[in-house]
Amino acid sequence: MENENVLNEEIVVAPEAEAEEKQQYSSLRYAWGAFVAFFGFSTRTHRASKQRAKLVQDIATYLVLLFGAFIMVYPFWWMLAGSLTSTEGADSSLLYTLIWWPERTPAGDGRSLFYNYQYFFNQALIPSNGVYLTYWRAVLNNLIYSIVPVVVGVITSASAAFSFAKIQWIGRNAVFFFLLAAVMIPGPSVMITQYVMYSDLNWQENGLVLIIPGMFGSIMTAFFIRQFLFGLPTSIIEAAKIDGAGYFRIFCQFILPLAMPAIMAQGLLSFMGCWNNYMGSFIMIPSQSEAINLPHAMFIVSTKLGENQGPNIAASVLCIIPVMILFACFQKLIIGSLMLTGSKE
Amino acid sequence: MEQEVTTSVAESVAAEAVLNPAEDAVALEAAPQVKKRKPINQQKLQDNLWGWIFCVPLIIGTVWFVYVAFILAFLLSFTTYNGTGTSMPLMEAVAKMGTLIDPKQGPFIWYKELFTFKASTSQLYSRFATVEMWRYLFNTVFYMIGIPIGMILSMFFAVCMSRDIRGGNLFRVLYYLPCVASSIAIVFTFKILFKEKGVINEILGLTDFTQGNSDGFLWMAKAPDPGKTWKALLDNPDLKGEFYEDPYWCQGIITKCVIIVMSVWKGLGGTIILYVAGLSGVNAATKEAAQIDGANGWQIFWKVTMPDLYPVIFYNIVTSVIGGLQIYAEPELLMSTSQAADGFMTTSGYVALIYRYGVNRKQFGQGAAYGIFLALIIFVLTLFQFWLDSRNKD
Repeated sequence: MENENVLNEEIVVAPEAEAEEKQQYSSLRYAWGAFVAFFGFSTRTHRASKQRAKLVQDIATYLVLLFGAFIMVYPFWWMLAGSLTSTEGADSSLLYTLIWWPERTPAGDGRSLFYNYQYFFNQALIPSNGVYLTYWRAVLNNLIYSIVPVVVGVITSASAAFSFAKIQWIGRNAVFFFLLAAVMIPGPSVMITQYVMYSDLNWQENGLVLIIPGMFGSIMTAFFIRQFLFGLPTSIIEAAKIDGAGYFRIFCQFILPLAMPAIMAQGLLSFMGCWNNYMGSFIMIPSQSEAINLPHAMFIVSTKLGENQGPNIAASVLCIIPVMILFACFQKLIIGSLMLTGSKE
Repeated sequence: MEQEVTTSVAESVAAEAVLNPAEDAVALEAAPQVKKRKPINQQKLQDNLWGWIFCVPLIIGTVWFVYVAFILAFLLSFTTYNGTGTSMPLMEAVAKMGTLIDPKQGPFIWYKELFTFKASTSQLYSRFATVEMWRYLFNTVFYMIGIPIGMILSMFFAVCMSRDIRGGNLFRVLYYLPCVASSIAIVFTFKILFKEKGVINEILGLTDFTQGNSDGFLWMAKAPDPGKTWKALLDNPDLKGEFYEDPYWCQGIITKCVIIVMSVWKGLGGTIILYVAGLSGVNAATKEAAQIDGANGWQIFWKVTMPDLYPVIFYNIVTSVIGGLQIYAEPELLMSTSQAADGFMTTSGYVALIYRYGVNRKQFGQGAAYGIFLALIIFVLTLFQFWLDSRNKD
């Protein structure tokens, strides 16, 4: 910045030929130059100040970013407004024309404002083969599917990462690249054999299919935690070893707490992935099972709701809120971890 | 454990030696005592033992659920193994693979089926005998239009965010919100945003657009006269040709655009964060030097920033192409309630084909074969990208 200023002053002060040239421009051109300079653009007649240019550019940046942020956030606002729209019977088209705020909320019809939410809780059960799945059961399923495998999986991934980063053993690199190569095999191409495996093991009806495979950890999580562990000094482990700690103790007492930021970030990301895992449940768990997860249940209910789409939107809001709260609380951690990915590659 | 404590000094020496092979040699030359060999081996044993133990769960998981599953998928793709009637367990099927191969068509039955012309069972498409796979694959490839659009947009926003302004972090968080939201919730929302009188048409001024008997531009429609939207768009009711008769092409193209908009919107935040991270790593000194040499902002961006960002962009392209080929949930959900079986072909990605035959109709062999073909496509495309990359570097 300082260099620039020096440079500009030199140009402005130095050549006198330019001053003579200036007089050749018409007054209209001068006026235009003055006008444009006000907004921070330099022309041949007027040179705008750096501060003005910065100010104008900052304002333009803010406008662009605010516009983008509006587009990013608006659908969520719409969802909220939509969930408070009256959509039963003749009102079903109200949702289709909704822009800012519903023309008529359920409160206007003498019902509770949160009628759509209540509808989902109370009435929209999934009767199939004698099984009644309530909304809360689906939420409970979803919580189990996104907490148990994530917590266990991230610990197994971290242990593998510790082994790859800090322990010297024969075949370490070979095993690491062997595992990393598995990333190249796309999920959908092994989907069918996995489906048959799980159905042979009877993991589908009871939902174990969304719990047990996740508990083995994931190679990408292990990869990111390994990158993080490379940054930790090895001397800590050496010191612990000298003091007589075994590797298991080192892992529990040193590595887990020290690598907590990376472990938390990866865990949160995979929690969000599991919470929103529509495909896993839809493909692996039969629709008439009690073990389906929340997005799957939302889909099944939506096919039965027809034109009355209000409860659907209410369910969407409820499905998004937990991940939004988690993200809001840990945004620094999550975004920091994602940025690390960007700068590593 | 007790032994470790008593020989801790020797161990620490050993551990250091292991870390630095060069020093290892020096240490061995300097102190060739035979006595101290034993603790060194003990430590190595410990390292090997615990190294493996810590990895075992991940190794088992990866080998079982990925490698074994992939090999079995490859083997089963040559058979007519299915889950209808008295279904065989997987391992039995693999053991009896030879008996499961179709005697007439041979082992490549499903790979041939992939490229076979056939009339669709669905009423809307019954007139058009097609290779089903090309249509699903074309959908998938069509959605990739979203990749360059998303890249340009996210680069633009990332450049804006990496200026030294206040609240850059807040914007990053706001832009990332769609990424954490559940795709089913987003599909429910977008489905209604794109309705005839919905927000999108309101913005575009298409709410009064008339086509046949409906007001408002139809983004997603089961159209009995499939070409009517285009006829209205081009203001020409006499259009003829396969494009205007086949719902896959005429109405389908418009519907596919909805999915592109949705996936660009949803994926923007992640790419922006990637680029912001990349931009913060661009060498500031080089930029300043270019500025002093009289380069303007545009030149600096193209000649200094972009080459520095190249690895990030390349990584982004590779991952989004691989991810894009595996698109499944969004198109299926978008079409599920409004069009049922007819609409699936207009939007569904290739993975839907695997689901439809493998899981829904329980033709495991067929599903596996389609999966292997997808793996092949992804592998070839990735190789091609790396080939382009290596050619660029020369």
